[in-house]
Amino acid sequence: MGLRWYHFAAWGAFILGLMALPELVSKGTLRTIIFANYLAIFAISWDLLSGRTGYISFGHPFLIGIGAYTSAILTKRFGFDVELAIPIAVVVTMLGGLVVLLPALRIKGSYFALVTLAFMELMYQLVQVIRPDLTGGTRGMSGIQTLTRGAVNGFYLSSVLMVIVAIAAWLLMRTRLGTALTAVGLNESAVEGSGLSTTKLKMVAFLASAFVAGLGGAFYVHYLGSIAPRALFDINFVFTIIVAVLIGGASTIIGPIIGAFFLTFLLEYLRPWLPGAERYFIYGGIALLLYMYQPKGIYYMLQSGWARLKGSTS
Amino acid sequence: MTAALEVTNLVKTFGGLTATNDLSFALEPGESVGLIGPNGAGKTTVFSQIMGELRQTSGSIKLFGTDIGLLSMPERIRRGVSRTYQVPRPFADLSVLENIRVGFMPNSVWGMVVGRPNVEQERDLALEVGFNEADLEKPASDLSMGDLRKLELARTLATGAKVLLLDEVFAGLTVGEITQISALIQKLRSQGITMLMVSHDLPALDPLVDRVIAIERGSMIAKGSFAEVIANEEVRASYLGVSA
Repeated sequence: MGLRWYHFAAWGAFILGLMALPELVSKGTLRTIIFANYLAIFAISWDLLSGRTGYISFGHPFLIGIGAYTSAILTKRFGFDVELAIPIAVVVTMLGGLVVLLPALRIKGSYFALVTLAFMELMYQLVQVIRPDLTGGTRGMSGIQTLTRGAVNGFYLSSVLMVIVAIAAWLLMRTRLGTALTAVGLNESAVEGSGLSTTKLKMVAFLASAFVAGLGGAFYVHYLGSIAPRALFDINFVFTIIVAVLIGGASTIIGPIIGAFFLTFLLEYLRPWLPGAERYFIYGGIALLLYMYQPKGIYYMLQSGWARLKGSTS
Repeated sequence: MTAALEVTNLVKTFGGLTATNDLSFALEPGESVGLIGPNGAGKTTVFSQIMGELRQTSGSIKLFGTDIGLLSMPERIRRGVSRTYQVPRPFADLSVLENIRVGFMPNSVWGMVVGRPNVEQERDLALEVGFNEADLEKPASDLSMGDLRKLELARTLATGAKVLLLDEVFAGLTVGEITQISALIQKLRSQGITMLMVSHDLPALDPLVDRVIAIERGSMIAKGSFAEVIANEEVRASYLGVSA
């Protein structure tokens, strides 16, 4: 995989910095970071499928929602232990996603995006009408068992989860599988022409993405302690995930993390001035500017900046 | 001896249009054959059927005696037949080595994850098709047309092709690049790779082939040595648009 010492050093510094944060920042900031961590997990999940293979999913909350709802229902309605409910939720997310979305992988381009968007909207409607005694209908569920108490513990749990997901995804994408998935995104028929089944590759990308989405969704619901359909199956949520990946840097692991933190904190700092939906204009504006001038995202800008710096000193 | 590639009574119709009309030919192992014909004669359609990108209406396609006519494209490639395209299709953001790596990969996800890329093998192939050491880490988007053709050939060879279908390998190349690619094709011939080659650049094609097949409107109109086929009345008429 070509691991070098500086890879370990970079991850080590990243983890140490993260773990030291509770000593340095306020509880309020920690709560913001928790949201950033979960957004980072969802962004990594999205990037595994869409950032690599170019199949843009507008329906990721569909997957996240299956994970979140499954774990919430199992623990609250059927008295499952959280330790058991979360793995089940992850498996259900992968299966549910497979059954519904996999046929959609045969559809190309913007049609795939539309089909996934339709599934998310469908899920939003279904959750409210099918067995509202289980799902809580329009109002959702509250009083779901939480895994942690207090900002510090929640911060540690979400950080550990995010780091594990990030490193696992990073290692997986450094193998030849990562190269093959990127190749699918660049020219799918040329991958077929190299003797590789792209259906198989897309399925793996999809399963990996669903795994992370289900895991993130399940942990997220046990952090929030409540769930409501409109908060989850929401177009704003989709755009937040996608914009996080794009401004951070698609097809990388650190990019979606940077993007998630950038967006979450931007939102937080803008809150005093723009309390309402106006801040999505700022979102859109930044995404647009970045996309016009550096479509490869913040991570690429940092990288090339670093290279220039090194070039000028040596 | 079993033919490397044997096409028998191949027919392909698109609605009322017959693109391939009862075409039969066979390539002996190690043989190099030119496939010529005017624009729209159906040369690329033949390639697409051999590779499984298009399903033939009827007829059979055999590779070293085994019928491959119903297999998917990746399966056919794994059995040893591969093609290049008129317009090269590189993975633009990937480096030269990574492009070649995709060709070498096993068609199993597990194999991709646990196996390491054999960089040595990738480098050897890259150098063999004429890349310089300095080009290997370049992204494919920085390459010239000539280099893109080399890259396409390398990736195709990496799949373990024993039968190569080359589609217009000289299109868009400079005179110098044509010389380079010709030398490369000669080298592959000497290694015993069977080749079927489409080209509009007949003078460049001549030294590379053992014999030539000419088709027009999906039917074979002549076969034989390069000189014989070029001298053929019907071939001349088809190229010049004069009724024979």
